[in-house]
Amino acid sequence: MPDTTRHQFQDELAQLEVQALGGLDMVCDALDRAIEVVQHQDVELASMVIADDDRIDGRYLEVHQGILSLLALQAPVAGDLRLVAALLHVIKHIERMGDQCVNMAKLVPLAGHEPPADADMLDKIARMGELARSLTQQCKLAFQRRDAALAQDLVRQDDGIDRLNRECFHRALEIGDDADQREWAMHMMLIARCLERIGDNAVDIGEQTAFVVTGLFREFEDASHPELTPGGGS
Amino acid sequence: MTEPHEQQQERRAPRPGGPAESGLDVSAVALEGASKRPKAAREAIFELDDVGVSYGDKLAVREIGFDIAQREITALIGPSGCGKSTLLRCLNRMNDLIPGAKVSGSVRYHGQDLYGSQVDPVEVRKRIGMVFQKPNPFPKSIYDNIAFGPRVLGMKGDMDQIVESALRRGALWDEVKDRLKTNAFGMSGGQQQRLCIARALATDPDVILMDEPCSALDPISTGKIEDLMLELRESYSIVIVTHNMQQAARVSDMTAFFTVQLEEDGGHRTGRMVEFDETEKIFTNPGDERTEAYVTGKVG
Repeated sequence: MPDTTRHQFQDELAQLEVQALGGLDMVCDALDRAIEVVQHQDVELASMVIADDDRIDGRYLEVHQGILSLLALQAPVAGDLRLVAALLHVIKHIERMGDQCVNMAKLVPLAGHEPPADADMLDKIARMGELARSLTQQCKLAFQRRDAALAQDLVRQDDGIDRLNRECFHRALEIGDDADQREWAMHMMLIARCLERIGDNAVDIGEQTAFVVTGLFREFEDASHPELTPGGGS
Repeated sequence: MTEPHEQQQERRAPRPGGPAESGLDVSAVALEGASKRPKAAREAIFELDDVGVSYGDKLAVREIGFDIAQREITALIGPSGCGKSTLLRCLNRMNDLIPGAKVSGSVRYHGQDLYGSQVDPVEVRKRIGMVFQKPNPFPKSIYDNIAFGPRVLGMKGDMDQIVESALRRGALWDEVKDRLKTNAFGMSGGQQQRLCIARALATDPDVILMDEPCSALDPISTGKIEDLMLELRESYSIVIVTHNMQQAARVSDMTAFFTVQLEEDGGHRTGRMVEFDETEKIFTNPGDERTEAYVTGKVG
């Protein structure tokens, strides 16, 4: 390729991508803490997760403004345009992932001070947390590397989260007649749902990776036709 | 001058069409904008096969093959020296006027060989008008500028009506109807360029060729010319050469990207067409990395 031009624009675009994907590291931190909160009913840590979400929201606003400026001032086209459009989606998904961590942190205090926890259900949630973390890291890597195959592979891991989510549901149904324990289980089910949503957001970021690489937008999983999706989708 | 080529078909760019080539997989998720101009069945007004142009023994462009559709705006883009203006001039035999210029391959207009021995170049230029980079009105009145072509060609009819009709089609009538006898040089640059477009329209062409028509104009005049082009598209086929890629993106339906390539002997550079496709595809998901590099400004 001959000498390149528009260095400042390319630098700004690259910086914007770094900023956006850095949001996924912030999500990982929030997720680790949220899982810790759930496992140990740590109400204090829960309030930190909630407060720290402002940082993720701030990142969203920074990247969003940066994208608007680039669109207005640099008129990106072709591959640059696809990247800018994808980043707009990616940062929105990241903001939602942060919100799911907040939702988890808010649910824990509602479950009571020393709730009648069920070890099996907590174990399933811990495994979902690990998978959600892994998906978050993998979607970042796939985007950074423009690796459509790695992005597509997110679906496989997401199926694991979906399966555990359904197991949590069944476990809650079977948990017994004690009202307190049933209430706790309901809260855990909602937490499982938050983790399942984080997985879906990671897959959505994977779809944006594929769009940047190929120029084609295709949903990896079709929520409108769950019968076509392995595991039923969500 | 025509040298029909046995392998013409192989050198023609495939005509894009189906949704699979539109850049976005609409079968997966409907993303087509409602504002997108509906594409009727395209009928080619020009068919170019293996076209080459040389000046003396130096080849300026080679192996150009694509169709230009009726009532569409086709943009030719590419770096300086890639031969896009040279190719544009082929389309109404303006190159005939340049000593040593030679056109090879086949340029068909409405299915007829444009360079056939029976073809009258004057008739060609009557039906295929041209507008240049710099407005070039004659040092005459506004009226006489428009009436010049019809008079030379001996066109029948009421000249006042011909002039008014051309000025209306050129979106200039309301601005000049009260000063038709004043010198055209008294008009603004943008008005002069619209006068040149109206002058081209006065001979009832069906194609307008535009060679960087807005490069000497301010943004407001440019906007007026672009609006005019979109109106004229309803009745005329337009081919525009532009260095302003946003202009190509704004107004054209199809875009051809040209580049300059060093010949194998290393002796000189020749213009080649790299890609021809719907403008939306060229500016969102071009098929060739050279197009991508050019439209994104990564190479000059």
